[in-house]
Amino acid sequence: MARPHIEPYVELDHPFKKFGVSGFKGSSYKVLSLDTDTGACTLKVRFDGGFKRKPGLSYSDMEIFVLNGKIKVGKQTWTEGHYAFVPAGMAVGQIEVPQGAEALLMFNDSEPSWVESDKNHQLALTEAFSSVNSYEDRPWGGGSIVSPSVATGCLIKLLHYDPLTEALSFLYCMTPRFAQDNISYHDSAEESYHIWGTSWMMQFGELPTGGYFWRPPYINHGSFRCKYGTIAFGRTDSILFNYFHFNPWTNPDENKLRAAANLYRKRPQLYDWVASDGHNHPHGPPDFENPDYTSEPQVRMLHGEPVGGTVSRSKVGTGGKARKKK
Amino acid sequence: MAKRVQDVKPARSKETEAWFRENIAEQKQRYAAIVKEQDGLAAQREKWVEEFLQVIQTKGFNVTGDTRRVIKPSEIAKKPKGRHQVVF
Repeated sequence: MARPHIEPYVELDHPFKKFGVSGFKGSSYKVLSLDTDTGACTLKVRFDGGFKRKPGLSYSDMEIFVLNGKIKVGKQTWTEGHYAFVPAGMAVGQIEVPQGAEALLMFNDSEPSWVESDKNHQLALTEAFSSVNSYEDRPWGGGSIVSPSVATGCLIKLLHYDPLTEALSFLYCMTPRFAQDNISYHDSAEESYHIWGTSWMMQFGELPTGGYFWRPPYINHGSFRCKYGTIAFGRTDSILFNYFHFNPWTNPDENKLRAAANLYRKRPQLYDWVASDGHNHPHGPPDFENPDYTSEPQVRMLHGEPVGGTVSRSKVGTGGKARKKK
Repeated sequence: MAKRVQDVKPARSKETEAWFRENIAEQKQRYAAIVKEQDGLAAQREKWVEEFLQVIQTKGFNVTGDTRRVIKPSEIAKKPKGRHQVVF
């Protein structure tokens, strides 16, 4: 099972390490979180000035968020605030970093991989590719994209949305003096990196610039405060539903039961059907619209099934679901 | 079963396997350090919790968005015995 609960982790306090893996030599990295089963990970990567790499592809879905500097990718130049989702098997152009750059690099299915290629893999789902400068090409919207919603003062720019799982990648900010007096948890894992600014949560204290968390599902967080404003990059691995409450001492098991009770109240017929004998489909029920979804790497990862190649097993780590992206 | 790119990923090279093992071990250390650091905040956290419980009984609890509801004293949960665990 997946990535441990890493919260809070302030990466600025820790040094970069030389990246010795093929395709990444000439860069340095810090692991922010790592799936101990699959190798899926979130890294902060520093590309040294003069870094070059030929066109190539990864065997994992990949996301990148440029923190600073310029990265030439084929004919494009990705600058500060650039976000891209690159599906597994899609070839990206030659990479050049003339003067150095730093980025968050996320491999969603397996460890960092790269194979030289100027052609897409025949199985690549290239239509999922997206590339946008989040600072310049997206407006801020209210944080009330879901209900129950966050308080006024938490704004969002949606960067990637998975229509099947409703997993999100987004930029968010908290305005100065933002406050929200409730405790929250979600069905999804949640991840965040503070690009700038400090926010506070009742459980963990302050999360400053360079602060990071990977939080598995059903873990309490909040209430929330932000004194001077914060801008951050965030992700969930499935639908984001805010379960708000005010009991500071509940644990993830209690929170999960409350979530199940919520489902029972809202969709009693479905709950009864799923829970009754003979209808409990541990690998997910059939979906006539997406008959192959149970073969998706992310669904298989949920059940500890191998996803291509050699997948090592490790007992290290605690809960949390595999990231669901396609 | 639909075949996907991830299904045909080659086995990890020795180089990658070594990278993976090294970083799992380091993450384990980071996790332990986080738990220790967070345990060290226990006394401060108790004060934060007290303040939170005061706020929701006076200013109110954010039900959704900016909609608030003032919580009655009888609705406040009793603090359980034992350590208040926040990292899982």
